[in-house]
Amino acid sequence: MRLELGKVLIKDVQFGDTTKLENGVLTVNKEELIDLILEDEHLASAELDIAKPGESVRITPVKDVVEPRVKVEGPGGVFPGILSKVDVVGSGKTNVLKGCTVMTTGKIVGFQEGIVDMTGPGADYTPFSETINLVLKCEPQEGLKQHEHEKAVRFAGFKAAAYIAETAKNLVPDEVEVYETDTLLEGIKKYPELPKVGYVQMLQTQGLLHDTYVYGVDAKQIVPTIMYPTECMDGAIVSGNCVSACDKNTTYHHLNNPVVHDLYKQHGKTLNFVGVIITNENVYLADKERSSNMSAKLAEYLGLDGAVVSQEGFGNPDTDLIMNTKKLEAKGIKTVIITDEYAGRDGASQSLADADPSANAVVTGGNANEVIVLPKMDKVIGSLDYVDIIAGGFDGSLAEDGTITVEIQAITGATNEVGFNKMSTKGF
Amino acid sequence: MVKEIERAGLPVVHMCTVTPISLTVGANRIVPAIAIPHPLGNPALEFDEEKALRRKLVEKALRALQTEVSEQTVFED
Repeated sequence: MRLELGKVLIKDVQFGDTTKLENGVLTVNKEELIDLILEDEHLASAELDIAKPGESVRITPVKDVVEPRVKVEGPGGVFPGILSKVDVVGSGKTNVLKGCTVMTTGKIVGFQEGIVDMTGPGADYTPFSETINLVLKCEPQEGLKQHEHEKAVRFAGFKAAAYIAETAKNLVPDEVEVYETDTLLEGIKKYPELPKVGYVQMLQTQGLLHDTYVYGVDAKQIVPTIMYPTECMDGAIVSGNCVSACDKNTTYHHLNNPVVHDLYKQHGKTLNFVGVIITNENVYLADKERSSNMSAKLAEYLGLDGAVVSQEGFGNPDTDLIMNTKKLEAKGIKTVIITDEYAGRDGASQSLADADPSANAVVTGGNANEVIVLPKMDKVIGSLDYVDIIAGGFDGSLAEDGTITVEIQAITGATNEVGFNKMSTKGF
Repeated sequence: MVKEIERAGLPVVHMCTVTPISLTVGANRIVPAIAIPHPLGNPALEFDEEKALRRKLVEKALRALQTEVSEQTVFED
């Protein structure tokens, strides 16, 4: 499977009479897009705003972040099973609006939603302080149930992203990257000397605000399966969760998964990147056992020598992570895990809820309990009403002067477990 | 909490869904529960069925409490 990813570099985003993309400047017709979003009868109102890097702007509560992409050539469309038919995606040509996002906010659905600051100390913890964000604030109809509210806003984000991405359908991209994965047997013939490495991606699947969708299917209902790595670049996996803001994978993360991109960089050189095994993190122990059994079985069947496992979220999914690791290692597959830590504000507590000696190669996204003080911003998109109740916040988080004291858990993407974050550490 | 109460000399049964975590943290008597969002019930059941399920779980826990153990034990049945 071969995908050409064409990057159209976005230099600026503005509102105007016609939605168009010229010379890297995206112009959005506000009314037209809002009308499209309000076709959903579950939503009472929608507003659009633009937040740019360096501006004194705070966006909260942030639900999802979506990168605008459009299918140019090849089967299917972006977000298959959701906005497009359920064709298999990941081949042909796709254009990406690089440097901008659609970010959804509005009345809170659940306490796992996040904060994005465009400047100041908080900006260092989120990758979305470096993108131009078209922020879509949606308010639900009165009395709308939580699940329908979440779904309506999730779809609003995808629709808005698809609407603006359409402007890039006929453009010649500034940069083109090519990603190609052979079928298993051809790949092994082509790279007989290289170790076969797979990526086991754990998807958060624990109910309201904890769900992920694969080709439109709620991933808590799947058994682990194999995917070509390019499928996620066309939106085969989307986020319906905010668990917590710091370590959820937004739809943007799924589209730009660094584990996939980094493994491709080494593909054919130091390793043979065979494919992706997706698995879930359910709330029943039998599901955890079944899914980890099957991921390990698929990894064995693919003949993997090594695997990278990424977790999503924390707490009981630590057990899914450890089960995956134990079962992969027991089959002789060398395993590296990517996780994050909840080690207390002083960093002295146990980092994960579960552990095993076979989990001996661990990459961490950081300690989500670290406390940060976020100074007041000149402008707020969304609302500060929820700062005290989101995960990472506490009673008194929001001071009268607009300063916010929170754990970095509250910042979207701060300790991301596919490595899409900027924290590092240094030994002294 | 399980460990601190046992340290004070009282036997404890830990009822939990994710028994591997319970084993990792060192509980001695473990009774598997239903699911993480509803460990001691099942909202999918009818009222009477759920009541029976809950009684069964509590009785199992009480039996476990009275059982001598020499190592960490998960009471599967």
